[in-house]
Amino acid sequence: MTVAEKLVLPEEPSLEKKMRERDFNRFLLNLGIGLLVLGTLVAAGFSFTPYAPNAADFLNRLSPPSAEHWFGTDQLGRDVATRILYGGVWSIGLAFLITSIGAVVGTIVGLAAGHFGRAADTTLMRVTDSFFAFPELIAAVTIAGVLGPSTTNMVMALILVGWMRFARLVRGLSVDLAHRDFVTQARLNGLPSWLILSRHILPNVGPSLLVLWTNSWSRTILSISGLSFLGFGVQPPNAEWGAMLLDGKAYMQTAPHLMIFPGLAILVTVLSINLTGDRLRDLIGGEALSD
Amino acid sequence: MLSVDHLSLSIAGNLILDDVSFSLPGGQTLCVAGESGSGKSSLLKALNGLMPARFEQLVFNPKTGFAVTHAGHWQGRPGLKGSRWVMQDPIAALNPKLTLGASIAESIFSKNLSEANLENAVSTVLSDVDLPSEMTTRKPSEVSLGQAQRACLARALIASPDLVFFDEPLSALDAIVQKQIAKTMKQIQERYGITFVIVTHDLGFAAAFADQMLVLRDGKVEAYQVANSFFAEPASRYCRDLIEAARDLGSLPQAPLSSGRPAEVYS
Repeated sequence: MTVAEKLVLPEEPSLEKKMRERDFNRFLLNLGIGLLVLGTLVAAGFSFTPYAPNAADFLNRLSPPSAEHWFGTDQLGRDVATRILYGGVWSIGLAFLITSIGAVVGTIVGLAAGHFGRAADTTLMRVTDSFFAFPELIAAVTIAGVLGPSTTNMVMALILVGWMRFARLVRGLSVDLAHRDFVTQARLNGLPSWLILSRHILPNVGPSLLVLWTNSWSRTILSISGLSFLGFGVQPPNAEWGAMLLDGKAYMQTAPHLMIFPGLAILVTVLSINLTGDRLRDLIGGEALSD
Repeated sequence: MLSVDHLSLSIAGNLILDDVSFSLPGGQTLCVAGESGSGKSSLLKALNGLMPARFEQLVFNPKTGFAVTHAGHWQGRPGLKGSRWVMQDPIAALNPKLTLGASIAESIFSKNLSEANLENAVSTVLSDVDLPSEMTTRKPSEVSLGQAQRACLARALIASPDLVFFDEPLSALDAIVQKQIAKTMKQIQERYGITFVIVTHDLGFAAAFADQMLVLRDGKVEAYQVANSFFAEPASRYCRDLIEAARDLGSLPQAPLSSGRPAEVYS
């Protein structure tokens, strides 16, 4: 046992793993810097803007971008830049809320389907499938039609049609995980279900879930803006990017800045979140199960 | 200690195991050999209650474990008291998100030990399997295959089992590491008098460990013999071919030995 024992090398993490870690740290750094810069700009915007988002100024209607009104004013003389700032809270914040609730609901449904036997699986996944059958726009329009257009109804509609993708993802991954050796070991060692789910299944589903959550967030921003543009979402006089597009539509020829700036806000936000999500997927998504 | 009478297992009409019987005294080792697809691994799954097997009698350690003495259907609750299972691929058998220490401690979850006692227990088994104590904080992706398999051994050992099942415990490892792990397994068995059931296709490894040999072929028992006589006078033509093949590959020494174990290649 001389040569053999000396040959045990202290195991270094592989080169590939180191590179991946470096890339991931660099990504986190960039993301952090980006969020800091954005946060500072938004905070500065809120504290330094001299205008209220809904304050009308009839002497200054439809004025083009200028030093006083950077993005111009709308048909009631409200400052477009300020309204975009406040509108972002609706668009981004509501989408964040809706996506997070959907993720939690979907994860619970998916875990239950994947863990509690065939009957639970079949029932829950058929329910999920039937929810998939409603196009989200039509579902939202229907709910608005029945209950009347309002922000609350839109949020409910989007939650109702937004959780299924999470359920499918989590269910698929947890069925796969349930047959992994380490989960079999946990079962043989007598671990109760809740510990198997919380210690073995959920942590290994987490990275994929995060990627899908990012992706859903940007989709939901688009849905909120789309519904508000159709008049079923955030109601006037509240500023929301889609609602602002709707307001500006009548003046598209004479005051195009009413549509350009909210449109740009949506574009930049969705693009940023999508690019972040794509990078996140490249870094962790593909190997969500193998660490 | 562990005795199985007329166990059979069929899945979707296919007979996977047909009338398998053996009786293994405590502290001894049974090696189950055979080609892939012969039902070796299914036997382990059936014994661990992961597959619904039929049997006439199944007895294991009346002290703590299961003792079923009637004919019937065995799809026991997984997690037999007093037994543990070490799997083939140590990396797959460890949760990538948990540290080795957490995985090992989980094995005695049901004992509800305090933090300090748990740490003691973990460090004791770590020294039993020759792992340095700093390994408790490592993730499976940060250790070698051999270290991971040692951690799996520790996870089995910490439960003070009377019986440990091994499913091809060495076949994922390098030759040198195989040798070291086999040595550790031997030390553990000698120190604690644990009964081993080892599924392997490596007859050299089996020769070094087995008190009894069980050879499966297409789900049927081809041979069930005391190890010494198996290697000296195999019961069937098929077993002789298996032994010949192992000799040709060099994993068994050429000449059959008449007394003692054929070769202490792993000690």
